[in-house]
Amino acid sequence: MFWEAELANVGIVIVSHSPKIAEGAADMVRQMVGSSVRVAHTGGNPEGGLGTDVTAILAAIDKAWSDAGVAIFVDLGGAETNSEMAIEMLDDKRRGRVVMCNAPIVEGAVIAATEASGGSPLETVKRAAEELTPEA
Amino acid sequence: MTIDTDDRTIDQALQRRLIEAVAQSMIGHAEELTRLDQAIGDGDHGLNMRRGFEAVLADIDALAAQPLPLSLRAIGTCLVLKVGGASGPLYGTLFLTLGKEMPDVPHPADAARALGAAIAAVMSRGKSQPGQKTMLDVLAPVHAELLEGGEDLAARLKARARAAAAATVPMRAQRGRASFLGDRSIGHMDPGARSAWLMIEAVCDVLGG
Amino acid sequence: MPDSFITASAQLTNAVGLHARPSVRLTQLAKSFAAQVEVALVPEGPWVDAKSPVRIMRVKAPMGSVLHFRARGADAAAALVSLVGLVKRRFDEDEDASLEGTARG
Repeated sequence: MFWEAELANVGIVIVSHSPKIAEGAADMVRQMVGSSVRVAHTGGNPEGGLGTDVTAILAAIDKAWSDAGVAIFVDLGGAETNSEMAIEMLDDKRRGRVVMCNAPIVEGAVIAATEASGGSPLETVKRAAEELTPEA
Repeated sequence: MTIDTDDRTIDQALQRRLIEAVAQSMIGHAEELTRLDQAIGDGDHGLNMRRGFEAVLADIDALAAQPLPLSLRAIGTCLVLKVGGASGPLYGTLFLTLGKEMPDVPHPADAARALGAAIAAVMSRGKSQPGQKTMLDVLAPVHAELLEGGEDLAARLKARARAAAAATVPMRAQRGRASFLGDRSIGHMDPGARSAWLMIEAVCDVLGG
Repeated sequence: MPDSFITASAQLTNAVGLHARPSVRLTQLAKSFAAQVEVALVPEGPWVDAKSPVRIMRVKAPMGSVLHFRARGADAAAALVSLVGLVKRRFDEDEDASLEGTARG
């Protein structure tokens, strides 16, 4: 069944300050990689302005959830810290299976989804995306 | 300064007044915090804090009814979920840690210890330290004053918070959005320092009588 | 002693060459094989891992360039046949274009 393949592949979450960027990045990932990888996105504050919202991030993690884990891509500072808070609020079983990736939000998500679509484990998916980021 | 009328929990009415005072201060000063944040940040500090503390106020009955540590933790969780931006994780962590460290009926020494732990947690969360033009530049001096204990604590803490916030004006930001402005961040009070000062002031006004 | 590499090549005839989505398709296909698979723009190399999305995206070969493949391992031959087929089918992009056309309606 095709959705079983989806569940087995690492899921991708995109967190941007901008709802448009988050949605657009998710669209690009789906267009380029297809539907074998769950992708969820969130962007903006509750008023629809620029910002990030922990509740929405938690919902996105849930939507993209896979037993193989979830890789999160963020843009600037607040997206990262609020995603960290969201991860800390997950239950014990899920918390260890969610990672934040240090990679550009669009390209990283695309690379991660590509890697995930081949069934790669979470650590491999994260590492593949982070190849885009030069070492300091 | 005595705050207990009962050995096991602080007076509910007092706890309620404390929470209300802080929340109303954040809500009432939202425009000012926005203005400060527009000067050197992304302009959302006022909006974010107002949203967070409106949610706190909406839950005031439950918050006032719980023992202080649980109440502080619930406030922290509420702030994490509702504030967002850069300050949600930071103020959320502050209150969550205060809640973990505070006893049911704190004396000044307990408050000092709890605040010290909360400051350390904020430093860790924000990867920052005093001297970088943040809320820590008010919290750390206030903590130092609290550690000294002694007479007239409420008035002294207020004065210390005010002086510390003013001292952020000539500082150069080294954290957050403001740090990208470099020297242009000089000459403006840090919005997080202002909100921290306001909180200290609100608490001291209630406790100082 | 490891098997030696077998090789094959195909010319990029799709308009965008080895651009983003074709890169993704190529790596996804390469990953479905157990064999070690590599790509180069000339037969002497340098060879890059065909299973690495980041490396393949950096190749940036335009239309008209020839992609050289080499593979070794149990299913190396099948891998090369599939990859050459993918390039010749222009990465199935034409299919997507017509699907998108109907989906957008």
